[in-house]
Amino acid sequence: MTVSHKNMLRDALRIRMVEEKIIELYPSDVIQSPVHLSIGQELHTVALMSLLQTTDRVFTTYRSHAAYLAKGGDLNLMFAELYGKQTGIAKGKAGSMHLCHPSTGLMGSSAIVGAVFSHATGAAYADKLKKNGDIVLCLTGEGATEEGTFHECLNFSALKQLPLVYVIENNGLAINIPLECRQSYRLEALARAYQIPYAHIEDSFNIDTIIAAARPLIEQARSASKPAVIEIATYRYKEHVGVSCDHNRKHRDASAITMWEKRDPLIVDRDLDAYRDEITAEILEAVCFAEKSEFPDHDELLKDVY
Amino acid sequence: MKTDTYRGAITRAMRHAMEKNERTILFGQGVTDHVGILGTTLNLEKEFGSDRVFETPLAEDSMTGFALGASLSGLYPIHVHIRADFMLLAMNQLVNSIAKYRYMYGGLFATPMLIRSIVGRSWGQGAQHSQSLQALFAHIPGIYVVMPSSARTAYATYIYANSACASPVVSLEHRLLYDYSFDRKDDEDVIFYPFTSFRVRQGGDVTIVATSIMVEEAIRAANYVKEMTGLDAEIIDLHCISHPDENLIIESVRKTGRLIVADTGWESFGVCAEIARIIATREPNVLRAPIKCLSLAKAPCPTAHRLEHWYYPDMANLVDSIYSLCFDRFDHGKQLPSEEYVKEVHKTFKGPF
Ligand SMILES: Cc1ncc(C[n+]2csc(CCOP(=O)(O)OP(=O)(O)O)c2C)c(N)n1
Repeated sequence: MTVSHKNMLRDALRIRMVEEKIIELYPSDVIQSPVHLSIGQELHTVALMSLLQTTDRVFTTYRSHAAYLAKGGDLNLMFAELYGKQTGIAKGKAGSMHLCHPSTGLMGSSAIVGAVFSHATGAAYADKLKKNGDIVLCLTGEGATEEGTFHECLNFSALKQLPLVYVIENNGLAINIPLECRQSYRLEALARAYQIPYAHIEDSFNIDTIIAAARPLIEQARSASKPAVIEIATYRYKEHVGVSCDHNRKHRDASAITMWEKRDPLIVDRDLDAYRDEITAEILEAVCFAEKSEFPDHDELLKDVY
Repeated sequence: MKTDTYRGAITRAMRHAMEKNERTILFGQGVTDHVGILGTTLNLEKEFGSDRVFETPLAEDSMTGFALGASLSGLYPIHVHIRADFMLLAMNQLVNSIAKYRYMYGGLFATPMLIRSIVGRSWGQGAQHSQSLQALFAHIPGIYVVMPSSARTAYATYIYANSACASPVVSLEHRLLYDYSFDRKDDEDVIFYPFTSFRVRQGGDVTIVATSIMVEEAIRAANYVKEMTGLDAEIIDLHCISHPDENLIIESVRKTGRLIVADTGWESFGVCAEIARIIATREPNVLRAPIKCLSLAKAPCPTAHRLEHWYYPDMANLVDSIYSLCFDRFDHGKQLPSEEYVKEVHKTFKGPF
């Protein structure tokens, strides 16, 4: 295994352990906001972000922890944000659902499903005008593609040939509703209809196939200013929102999680255990930072309103 | 005395609409899952079939237009949104088509339907999952906008809308009311005309016009000041935001001379502004003191618990307002309910959602 593979696995494990810490903390009510965990979906996020430069920008959703960390977001500022502290990345005003980290390119996370397609489109348009060689990556779930805005943005980004990669994490569920109840189309055919190159990543646990599928499209977006759609078959281990499992519920196949877990390198690759201590130390430090930080004071309430 | 929760009343109303009106269809994201819109649509798909109760894709605007088409064709659509914020995606159909359909075509069409949505609050719902947008909807002529504040009003409004009303109705329910228990009177299921306002407490010292959960806060504040000082507050549940009972409000303020408006939204251009307009344009001289408004801080909703706490007005703010209207405006010197007391009466909601 190459060094970069090891690094990616380590980074993915770090995200998993951060979210496991959140699960551990949650019952104590120090984090008083809805949390949408990415557990199960970390590795492909890390692999995709590894193909980006720091100046490339990302827009994503309420399921924002993985993208935040994979794009280089600061862990202390993240925990402080979850704790609602003044030292959080957004002074506690964002919480888990709206993480951002502009200095490393995370431009926002929307809790309005589908809102970010057009934000990413506008940002990519600016990159194209500026000829800065940067690209934009828009990371959402498959449910978001049902919103009309997705279709409008595909059209516009194809029309204007924008350096924009739509990454669609297909975990088969929108909250508790399975794909079959919601979609009559295939993403691939849709992308093709707009003549947008499309790649499907079948195995979200295989770094090589992720990179092999995504790299040409990301390079093409950068060098030839072309939009692309990348769909990833993935699986969310936890409930839609919150820290529990919901596999005993009728909308989920209880056996599926075992199949995923059996192949999940973050679980089966015992070599990764070597990283656990240092990651744990880093997480504890971030939690400590959050705990020691002050809550925002009253002045903060009306700051930054026009 | 028997009790009824908000959740229970809405659940009964949904079932009733499905049972008694075969034209009713019920749809939205999450109406068929095991959560069933906080329990209010549980099992309805199984019982009434998936032609009448169904999931929608994430497509708020189109499914709102769909409701219009279905309504024009004799169905009674009930479209449900788990957060009122998502209705902003449906604004185009709601404002440009649904609200206009009857009038623009000279009365040739009727578009009965119910759009239910829920206002989130607490537990870091943040800027995009907590908005209370009644003023936005009520600004538009052509729809009834209601905010049920109790089990009884929720039930009556939904049954009336479903069985006796040809107009589009937008309802904003409140997440924090769902587990409240209300005393259930024997006439609980009597259906009354719901597109108006209701007096929920009589008193001669100050009038509180309140919406949604602020009605509950007002009742508790009124009981508190009564116990502490003997003051009697009159409370009006505005209920139908778009068509309030103006006379009821004026008559009350004529009696008390003092007015507090307690709303779940923002003050300017909102319910507070509207009630002040009603008084100012109709009978400004009934006021013995300036109107007091309790509303959200003029900002998007912050996620952090500490900021959220300051963002929303509560019972203590209401008590403070009552005292400063009835005693000294600047220094009433009266003790406010302790934080513990406020907390106790104010349901603290625990997440994750
Ligand atoms: C406009 C809008 N409609 C509905 C919702 C409620 N909602 C939140 S997440 C979600 C499911 C989205 O599923 P998907 O895009 O597949 O992302 P995932 O949560 O699986 O990552 C829904 C319906 C919302 N937040 N915004």
